[in-house]
Amino acid sequence: MARAVTNTRKTVNTVIAWSIGLLIFFPILWTILTSFKTEAQAINDPPLFLFFDWTLENYAAVQERSNYMRFLWNSIIIAGGSTLLGVIIAVPAAWSMAFVPSKRTKDILLWMLSTKMLPAVGVLYPIYLIFIQLGLLDTRVGLVVVLMLINMPIIVWMLYTYFREIPVEILEASRMDGASLRDEILYVLAPMALPGIASTVLLNFILAWNEAFWTLNLTAAKAAPLTAFIASYSSPEGLFFAKLSAASTMAIAPILLLGWFSQKQLVRGLTFGAVK
Amino acid sequence: MAQSQRPSSLFRNLSAKIAAIPMILTALVIFVGCTVWTVVYSFTKSRMLPKEDFVGLMQYERLWATKRWLVSVENIAIYGICSLILSLVIGFVLAALLDQKIRFENTFRTIFLYPYALSFIVTGLVWQWILNPTFGIQKVVRGWGFEDFTFDWLANTDYVIYAVLIAGLWQGTGLVMALMLAGLRGIDEDIWKASRVDGIPSWKTYLFIVIPMMRPVFVTTLVIIAAGIVKVYDLILAQTSGGPGIASEVPAKYVYDYMFRAGNLGQGFAASTMMLVTVLIILIPWVILEYGGKKNAS
Repeated sequence: MARAVTNTRKTVNTVIAWSIGLLIFFPILWTILTSFKTEAQAINDPPLFLFFDWTLENYAAVQERSNYMRFLWNSIIIAGGSTLLGVIIAVPAAWSMAFVPSKRTKDILLWMLSTKMLPAVGVLYPIYLIFIQLGLLDTRVGLVVVLMLINMPIIVWMLYTYFREIPVEILEASRMDGASLRDEILYVLAPMALPGIASTVLLNFILAWNEAFWTLNLTAAKAAPLTAFIASYSSPEGLFFAKLSAASTMAIAPILLLGWFSQKQLVRGLTFGAVK
Repeated sequence: MAQSQRPSSLFRNLSAKIAAIPMILTALVIFVGCTVWTVVYSFTKSRMLPKEDFVGLMQYERLWATKRWLVSVENIAIYGICSLILSLVIGFVLAALLDQKIRFENTFRTIFLYPYALSFIVTGLVWQWILNPTFGIQKVVRGWGFEDFTFDWLANTDYVIYAVLIAGLWQGTGLVMALMLAGLRGIDEDIWKASRVDGIPSWKTYLFIVIPMMRPVFVTTLVIIAAGIVKVYDLILAQTSGGPGIASEVPAKYVYDYMFRAGNLGQGFAASTMMLVTVLIILIPWVILEYGGKKNAS
């Protein structure tokens, strides 16, 4: 923004902005810190901030109770699989809507997006029945398919908005030069579309990673991802805050790290493409 | 478009149509098919298993006579309206405050968006702890010497839904702010200059010029917030499990409990159909306003 601001003003703004940011980040920070305390230190009065005996015992206890790696692996497969499958199906659809729009394109998009508003419980039981019939209950394959379907409207919509920004003239120029459909996709479309696809992939990965309603209801032991892992700590261990924090930290760490190293895509993706 | 001159245009058009089919088909079968199935079976007496003995509106009469359902409806109404208004207002005010260049902006935005990147389950657990009267904010503030300080919303049947609201706002406001900030950045600098030259106070500029110009951003934001409100089930499950008592129950949890815990499918289907009807009542006028009007204009 080119509005005239003095340097002092800018620093003041930065300080205010970062204070609000820290306030928002504090619950996450506190959870991470608590995970390194003993149970007694976790409920110490007054609260201990940094000066306590850092310990890893909570992580060991959590790991002993539930095998973190298995949940993590399930989460990776389910979130990754559903994202990959979703993008494979959505890219052609979004491409056709963006470059060969028909009169109905807008209606179809809107209609698809509106399914995101429908209560998921309304389709839970029929899908549950289908899962029993097909033997998909508590399998990763089943969850991959369901989460792909659930997030499909968002993937298509986001890809559509990104694809629409690609000027059609470039495609027409490449066609004039005799590019085949394959060349057009590979050498013209893909390089321009990749940033958009990357943001979409990241958003969808995070949405699938965090999906609790479907994963809790359609899995038991074998295919349960990290959301089930953390949910299992909610009631029985309710008062063991240090262990709860350790479990929470283990559940959110992959996303926090992933987000940190792909900040640009994260911001673009999570804001549904609104932030350029 | 000059496509019709080229022989391959028919192929391109056709392939485009075909490319869209798998997606439309899956969406159609899953969402519409399954939703219709649920609606049909909501008129039956199904208990443990779906059965086709239709009993008319019996399940609905029972539904609206159940206290737990009424509490659920009231809660989702409070949660929905408050979170819609508050996250829009707080998000916009924060964005307006921060509508200047900030150092390390991408990192800053990432931190703001972190809560939204967390599962509702984690959010629920963390806030269950922060708002816990025995261990959380209440204890800390009392420890500072304010012995009478009381902040026990989580244990208070009248206020527990607002405790859930706080957690929900924490999760979503950063996202709203980021969206609004993007919208504000899109406003032409000349508009600010013009309104300053005319001596219009900046709050008036925001209210009557900038906000109307940001309409698309507001629409996107509304859609995202609304989808979040429908999804509040996870948060309730982790933060309060519907308690204390039934004070923080929500419709989605009612449906789930009746279908899978109480073995009363018909009742669950009826409740989920009511949710569907509510969403449609809110959605349809908006769709007509937003898109029906435009079609006539163009």
